[in-house]
Amino acid sequence: MTAAVRGLYGDFVRTFGNVLFAVSLFVVWGVLTLLGVVIDQGRDPNAYFESYAAPIARAILRLNLDNVYHSPWYVGIIGLILTSLAVCTFKRVVPARLPALRPVKIESIPLHACFEAAGDADTVRNRLAEFFASRGWRIRERIFGGIEWSFADKHNWARRGVLIAHAGFVILAAGTTLYWARGFSGEIALLDGQTSQISNTGAVIRLDDFAYRIAPTQTKSGMVYQPIDYVSHVTVSGKNGIPARMTVRVNHPIDIDDTLYYQASYGFGMRFSVTHDGRRDAALSRRTLLEGDSFDLPGSQRSVLYERFAPTVDKQTGMPTADPRVNDPAVVLGVSDGGAPLGEALVPLGSRIDLGGGWGLEPQKYVMYSGFQYRHDPGVPLVGIGAFVLLTGLIISFYFVPARLYVRVDDAGAHRSSVGLAATTVKGYDVFESEFARLVVALKANNL
Amino acid sequence: MNLPWDEILIGIALGAYTLGALALVIYFFSQDESFRKAGVPLAVLGCVAQFVQLAVRFETTHVWPLLNLYGSLSFFSAMSVAIYIGFAFRYRLWFAGGFVLALAAIFLAYGVTWYEGTMPPVPSLQSYWAKIHVPIVVSSYAAFLVAFVFSCVYLLKYYAARSGTGSTARWLASFPSLPQLDAIVYRAVAIGLPLISIGIITGAMWAHEAWGAYWQWDPKETAALFSWIVYLAYMHLHTRHAWRGLRTNWVSVIGFASIIFCYLGVNIWISGLHSYKV
Ligand code: HEM
Repeated sequence: MTAAVRGLYGDFVRTFGNVLFAVSLFVVWGVLTLLGVVIDQGRDPNAYFESYAAPIARAILRLNLDNVYHSPWYVGIIGLILTSLAVCTFKRVVPARLPALRPVKIESIPLHACFEAAGDADTVRNRLAEFFASRGWRIRERIFGGIEWSFADKHNWARRGVLIAHAGFVILAAGTTLYWARGFSGEIALLDGQTSQISNTGAVIRLDDFAYRIAPTQTKSGMVYQPIDYVSHVTVSGKNGIPARMTVRVNHPIDIDDTLYYQASYGFGMRFSVTHDGRRDAALSRRTLLEGDSFDLPGSQRSVLYERFAPTVDKQTGMPTADPRVNDPAVVLGVSDGGAPLGEALVPLGSRIDLGGGWGLEPQKYVMYSGFQYRHDPGVPLVGIGAFVLLTGLIISFYFVPARLYVRVDDAGAHRSSVGLAATTVKGYDVFESEFARLVVALKANNL
Repeated sequence: MNLPWDEILIGIALGAYTLGALALVIYFFSQDESFRKAGVPLAVLGCVAQFVQLAVRFETTHVWPLLNLYGSLSFFSAMSVAIYIGFAFRYRLWFAGGFVLALAAIFLAYGVTWYEGTMPPVPSLQSYWAKIHVPIVVSSYAAFLVAFVFSCVYLLKYYAARSGTGSTARWLASFPSLPQLDAIVYRAVAIGLPLISIGIITGAMWAHEAWGAYWQWDPKETAALFSWIVYLAYMHLHTRHAWRGLRTNWVSVIGFASIIFCYLGVNIWISGLHSYKV
């Protein structure tokens, strides 16, 4: 390795192994995360120009802040955190949290006590070992330069808590990557009676029927139409080809060949009777449109958008109400000409509307549809294990404070010995101050 | 449904917290023990009244009471006081109780303004996870509230000690030392951080069941992740001797601001899968 490369490597290790650098990465990670909360994600580019001043909207789109969590910035910062975590673990955490047994300068450690005890050094050392062992300390003895040292550890195993927390984060990150590499997800909307095949898996799913339940509830601020159940009855066949009838509800997904299907949304498909110069247009009248679908009128620049279904229209005002149950239904239509909107209309089912140019339209019949989300995520077990390991690490590091006592006993002549005792913990000295004081009092009370 | 007990118990809790806050704030400034003796039972009374209210509400309506902002804020204020009482008994910290009770009273009173009556839960909230995830997350917020109050006391003592002389210095000296206050904040964060981690994990498990993906980058999830990152930064800074104290306590203050944003800001201003609207 040349000196330049060695220098660079040294700089890299110093920077990435520094906790303050890691905290700076956390700050960037936090800011990016917060940007994603404040800026609506995944919307149509025009929506940003409507919500923000043009330069800000342009910056949002250029910097991928409209999809920040999948942007190079976000993936990059997680990559840097993982790199820093790896470097730091080997260069800082292991040496700091798992220190070798070695002699120390007793007086230079803030928590220390020096006193005399009756008996020669060996006897006092044995008494001390018994004293600590009876209080749950693990004793180890070593000789350094002819001087015998005793080391007493409490919760020594918990020194690995940080390592476990860090490992948990790495496992979790690996689990999420597995989804990116090998998982898939998608959405399908099925009308009552419709069958569809999922291209990723080959599974065939048919919606037998969809229903929802609403509980009208009187609250202080008025009537609220609280949805209390969405339920789809489906017939599915997976890899084994055997059709099975199943029920999908919110919070109760179904599993077909390791892909989960969830109840995600619902809506009203609509059949329109479209006429031109009084004659029914068979092709246009055969289709069932979902909310948000549109169609063009042949031979004109006009197009009709089925914006949404209004399940209940107030008979007096003629306006849609908040009641989502189908009582007096209507549809909201938008008509445009050459892309320019001409207007909106609320058309009750069974009424005809004149679209101009000889075209007429009547919303005839609604069919409910159910929206499903499906997802195959092979990373879930790994994410689960990672989360569990991370949590275990957090709990170990926060609730068990590993402490180490350094004990040196020297003959002081006339059957007396001088005892030097010092304590360190992985969380500084303050957390152990009172326990150390109690320990010293108990030692003296026991004539040690 | 008419729930007279509900209103009486909330009234008792609000009254007890307000009077208790007053007594303990006076105790904070005067250090007159008789105010502490009046404030402590009021704190306990308010807290007990709140838990009884939540239990009675569940018993009579059979709807898990934490699923709207009213019940959730009520639980938040009850847990804040409960965690604080635990700390105060264990480490003799009644001097800061007035501020915790005042915050608890404010959050409870604010929660009452969201009271709409009893509503059946929407389908996504009809899950046993609601009984696990919501109390854990809200308890983590409560632990961070306690950390926040002690951080404020730390900062007050730090800045006042720098400029204070004579009687101010003697008054400040009667509180725990700065390192002791810092250790208390660390202990409260050490309750909140694992709880919010468990909260995020159980939330992910619930989301996996309800929405099809354990993580959807919904504003509420990401706001909680942001708070988690702030407290992770706190914990890491706390491992550095030079950063422990003044700066970590400022991070704890920022952390609590992020919690309030995650808890109330997201629900009220940003709509997403978690807003209580449907
Ligand atoms: C992002 C996920 C991370 C998690 C969940 C995590 C978790 C933890 C926990 C729980 C502690 C113990 C804190 C205490 O005892 O008070 C800790 C300490 C530490 N972490 Fe992390 N950490 C993460 C990332 C990192 C990164 C990226 C670095 C890289 C520099 C790092 C370096 C350290 C160091 C040096 C310590 C203290 C070791 C010591 O001084 O004894 N951590 N971490």
